Amino acid sequence: MAKVYAGLSGGVDSALACALLCEAGHDVHAVYMRNWSRDLPGFKCAWADDLADAERVAVSLGIDLEVWDCEAEYKATVVDYLVDAYAHGLTPNPDVMCNQTIKFGTFADMAFAAGADYVATGHYGRVQAGPDGHARLLRAADEHKDQTYFLWRVGEDVLAKTLFPIGDIANKTEVRRMVAERGLGLERKPDSDGICFVGPVGIRTFLLDTLERRAGDVVELETGRVLGHHDGAFLFTVGQRRGLDLGGGPARYVVRTDVEKNVVYVTTDRMSPALFARALTLGDCRWVGGEPAPAGEYAVRMRHTGELVACAWDPEAREVRFFEPQRRVAPGQSAVLYDGLCCLGGGIIQP
Amino acid sequence: MTDGFGAGASRGEKRLVYLDYAAATPMDPEVVDAMAPYLTERFFNPSAPYAAARGVHADVEAARADAAHAIGARPGNIVFTAGATEANNLAFAAAGAGAHVVVDAVEHESVLACAGAFDHTVVSAGPDGRVAAADVAAAITPRTRLVSVELANGEVGAVQPVREIARAVSAERARRLAAGEAAPVWLHTDASQAAGTLSVNVGTLGCDLLTLSAAKIYGPKQVGLLWASDDVALRPLVLGGGQEGGVRSGTENVAGIVGFAKALELAGARRQVESRRLAGLRDRLQRMLTEEFPWAVVSGPRASKLRLPGLLHVSFPGLEARRLVIALEREGVCAGTGSACAASKMRSSHVLAAMGAPAEVAMGSLRLTLGRATGEDDIDYAAAAIARAVASECARLGIDAASGEKGGEA
Repeated sequence: MAKVYAGLSGGVDSALACALLCEAGHDVHAVYMRNWSRDLPGFKCAWADDLADAERVAVSLGIDLEVWDCEAEYKATVVDYLVDAYAHGLTPNPDVMCNQTIKFGTFADMAFAAGADYVATGHYGRVQAGPDGHARLLRAADEHKDQTYFLWRVGEDVLAKTLFPIGDIANKTEVRRMVAERGLGLERKPDSDGICFVGPVGIRTFLLDTLERRAGDVVELETGRVLGHHDGAFLFTVGQRRGLDLGGGPARYVVRTDVEKNVVYVTTDRMSPALFARALTLGDCRWVGGEPAPAGEYAVRMRHTGELVACAWDPEAREVRFFEPQRRVAPGQSAVLYDGLCCLGGGIIQP
Repeated sequence: MTDGFGAGASRGEKRLVYLDYAAATPMDPEVVDAMAPYLTERFFNPSAPYAAARGVHADVEAARADAAHAIGARPGNIVFTAGATEANNLAFAAAGAGAHVVVDAVEHESVLACAGAFDHTVVSAGPDGRVAAADVAAAITPRTRLVSVELANGEVGAVQPVREIARAVSAERARRLAAGEAAPVWLHTDASQAAGTLSVNVGTLGCDLLTLSAAKIYGPKQVGLLWASDDVALRPLVLGGGQEGGVRSGTENVAGIVGFAKALELAGARRQVESRRLAGLRDRLQRMLTEEFPWAVVSGPRASKLRLPGLLHVSFPGLEARRLVIALEREGVCAGTGSACAASKMRSSHVLAAMGAPAEVAMGSLRLTLGRATGEDDIDYAAAAIARAVASECARLGIDAASGEKGGEA
């Protein structure tokens, strides 16, 4: 029996994770991490409801539930990071930061300080001891739900003491069935997709509530013609089609944004070479095992549950080279390298 | 741990026991029947000129007369509102800008929020949740326009000395008259939580304004009333077509008003017998729980006459009431923690804080409120379920269930 501190968010996945830990006979201490409680226009932050759901699960399982206030850390390392990245024309992955600094940072530190043998979460991922005895991060059994794309900044030292109880479950339907079977009462709760603190109103509303509106031009890439106006180049991301508000006409795609000049460049040509890349340069790299992945051929993933694309990795240049041109991904997103099922780490796509 | 509560409470038998009547009451079938025609064939706008509509208008006025009769008042002094919160807001609006108001610390949020918009004095409550009339009297200044003290508190059930406070307000009125001061001073009392079990006769109470809610007396939600004496000039908050004597515009909620009048009539007819019955059941529940857990803390006045008959506020210090409520729900028992508003915001209750209850007591408190459908079997079942929930939480926390003392290892 191990002493396990488990994150319990009020969602389906962490509920089942806790239940499975209890069934395995562990001494389980559930923790609700309160990271954010700000409301937005048209969105009431659901933290109180989520906490009530978490509480329901904890009582059903007969385990403790503590509320740990991580708002200050979350604001500093996730929200401010996100706002700053957008302000610089990048499109960040807040979930990646949250996992590194909150769930496997503050939470894990506090849990180990409280005497935990392990921390656990409801992530879809797997930890396995490699042949060298070091912990390795593997993709979940359910490829559609795999969350290793968000976990690449978590190091092996923490992973070695991490449990992902639902990483082996075949699919979400099975997860919901197992939750229902245990009478935890959450089996119909919808998945929370997207950034938790902006909810269904979306990042645009959050950014407009946070950053200064700044009127600028929407310019056609090929002709330099001004097609319309926008509220701030920071609101746009490469490949974006919606929300350009150009008053009809053909569909247009954002090719590039220039936050300094406050210009958004667009094209009607979905196959425009500007929308494709042959290579990506990564910055702020991190590797699960500590050492950068050696040069070689790997699979790279550039969006959550996105296609795994074959590539060559050059650790010197920190460059991912594709064998076929790939659709350009917004700078600020993560590029994560895999060797088979094993998530090696990755970096942030540079402009 | 669960034995000793009689056969009705044996394990295996699962039932639904609702013990949160202070939060909401089911509509009485007679109320539903009274309302039904106004939801269908008698849908007319009471302000319309043709006979069918005039008939509905007459029904609204008959309901107003019935409601007036139930509180010993004249129909013309009653304004129907969309619930007690609105009625309380309307009462405070009468005080007018710049006025000083006096409230006590254990009032409902709607009263405290209204008072907050004025220069106000908050009178503290005693450890039993009761307010001393002398303290209220002392808080009245020559600038005071409104004093608001509820008839009974919905959280710990303390019945307030409204008649005594009315005498203090009268004394101030007499003083002003003698001194040649023209400014009026009125006493408002929110009787929402009391109407099912205590007399709400305005003459006996001696108040100038009275709030009632249909939702707490087996009537529909979002229907309430404000009674105001002839001396009070109400100022409308909702402007429009001038219904309700211009004080509350908007097409009358005919079905709601008719249902409310019916609910008031039934409450009046059943009050005496029901109060005694509820007090008996409440005492049984209290006895069972305090015998099982002598360390449990019962809040509110000790004297039966000073506490709402169907209400038991019991705390298990060291436990978390929120967890008890979930555990009880799993056994089919619906119980409240503190007041509903406080529970949804996850703050501990302002009422218990005002009474000086330690945080540990506040956190571990259940509000159990009984009603018309509650029987002895329900009480026995609920007591057993509560005992199980408390014992299981004690076990988890390493608290000795017999003494409430924190033991060794959890």
